[in-house]
Amino acid sequence: MTLALSAATDRRAAFETLKAELSARAARGSLPLEGAIPSAIPDLDRLLGGGFPKGAVATLEGTTGRWSLAAGLVATTTRRGLVAILNDGSLYPPSLAEAGACLERVLIVPARKALQVARAVDILLRARICRLVLMPAIALRDAVWTRLAMLAHRSGVLLIVMTSCAGAALSAAAELRLHCALERLLMQGTHGLWGRFAGFELCVDLRKHRHLLAGGSAHLRIEACSATLR
Amino acid sequence: MLDALDAVSPLIDDVRPGLAFLEMHGIAGGPPSWMAQTRSVLAGFCCPLRVGVASNKVAARAAAYIADGTFCAPGAERALLGPLPLVVLDVEPEIVERLTLLGIDSLGDLAELPHGPFVRRFGAQASSWHELACGIDRRPFLPRSRTVAIEAAIFGEGRVAEEAQVFFALRMLLTRICADLERSGKRAGAMHLALELEDAGSSTYDVPLATPTANERTIFDLLRAKLEGATFEAAIVGLRLQARQLEEGGEAQALFGADDFDPQRLAVTLARLEAVLGERIARAEMREAHLLEERFVYRPFEPLRSLECHPEWSRRIVPQLRLLEVREVPVELRAGEPARVDRKTVTQCVGPWRIDERPFTASPVARDEYDIALEDGTFARIYRQGSTWYLRGVYE
Repeated sequence: MTLALSAATDRRAAFETLKAELSARAARGSLPLEGAIPSAIPDLDRLLGGGFPKGAVATLEGTTGRWSLAAGLVATTTRRGLVAILNDGSLYPPSLAEAGACLERVLIVPARKALQVARAVDILLRARICRLVLMPAIALRDAVWTRLAMLAHRSGVLLIVMTSCAGAALSAAAELRLHCALERLLMQGTHGLWGRFAGFELCVDLRKHRHLLAGGSAHLRIEACSATLR
Repeated sequence: MLDALDAVSPLIDDVRPGLAFLEMHGIAGGPPSWMAQTRSVLAGFCCPLRVGVASNKVAARAAAYIADGTFCAPGAERALLGPLPLVVLDVEPEIVERLTLLGIDSLGDLAELPHGPFVRRFGAQASSWHELACGIDRRPFLPRSRTVAIEAAIFGEGRVAEEAQVFFALRMLLTRICADLERSGKRAGAMHLALELEDAGSSTYDVPLATPTANERTIFDLLRAKLEGATFEAAIVGLRLQARQLEEGGEAQALFGADDFDPQRLAVTLARLEAVLGERIARAEMREAHLLEERFVYRPFEPLRSLECHPEWSRRIVPQLRLLEVREVPVELRAGEPARVDRKTVTQCVGPWRIDERPFTASPVARDEYDIALEDGTFARIYRQGSTWYLRGVYE
């Protein structure tokens, strides 16, 4: 018995070593993951081994910066395809346009109730018309998250869930979890009327990845152009 | 009237209201019988009518101009046209006036002019006037497109109260419609569905198609999506389905286009989402405005026909403002600036930016906007309107 356990531990250790090596190679950019959608942020793409995985559920967690990352992804995706955003009324399209998104290719789906959001996402995933679907986190049963993850996998659509903190069911269904934390606010000019927020610095932690080792992080600087904050 | 004239000849050139030419080559009979038949089919319209027969359009028009029932034998066109005024040419009044000033009163006068110098004087288009005046008409005969009504209906064959039964009947109608479309080489740009109810009421649906098609499955998916969630006061006793905006030809398909963007699938998805949510799927459009909430407007999402690679693309990672439902927040001031907002300490504050919008209207807006950072890391946009403070949004 003791001998068998020892062998299993060795295999586990060997597997972890192999996974770490592959992750390191992917992070260096030498082994990009197949079918990844680049986020247009080089540091983040390096962290993710090339970009966000296609056909998966991903979560962007935290309170600051997650929409800035998502906007970059929307800008990249609308260059060649359609994006759907489930809008609970808080979407501000001019910010998306400043990030480079082509608004003509963004379907804004008005859905406020949990059931509406779930049904709309279900339809969008099955239809396969959008490469990216962004939805707010809502309280759904475990089985629904599992179904959405399966649909995303089958249709090759990236489903991004924006949440402050993913629950147990969503964490299990997600192939990728990123957490954004504010590090520093950037100021330009003096305080008051002549001052201007120039953006912020973020720390993005990789909490879960199906193909890579979790635990890595990237430090991003998000800068506002004058129109954004005025 | 044009439809009635189909009984005389299948080829009708509908030039303008009040003037039409019929191609009579190969039609049995001769000029007298053709003219008699034309008069007989148009008798019911009770309108004055002049009919003329000739070998080409300008001569036929001249024959009808001279008198009803005039026949111009082949070769006699120039002689027929000679005494007629220039208006028979159907050219602009200014040109007629110009020619008249030069002493050219009739088509005969025009035909007498030497062709080369006349064309050099009046330009290339004068060449066709001169030929027409000589009885030579090179203008092509342009037959009108025939109006084809493609529709199918079921009435008085029982009543249906369940969704599945309606879809079954609809599929049956659609099979007939699509077969008719295929047979006539057409495709439909829109469908019109009328439902007759047991209580004598009716309900109609217009379903535009992203690209004209004769594909049964696509049309059925769209119709089904339109009907999803619809409720009726009474059972359905009749259905009428009509194909509209008919176009010629088939649908262009790419050789390796299996994974290409499919506008029909997009249209079906939009219809399905709208049926489920009860609201239109939108796209945002930017506009010039000072107030944040007026800098964009939502418009119905128009199904795209293709998804070419977007040429203008500049990526920039910028903070994203999220609009919150506007709510009043308690603000404590220090030296005229917000020091505590919503019971949280302000760590950074920039502003104010004054916005005076519509000052001379019944609903003026005067605001002082600030961007603030709070102790908990929140980065927000607030504004003061009058003496009240509001939270407008947060940057994420």
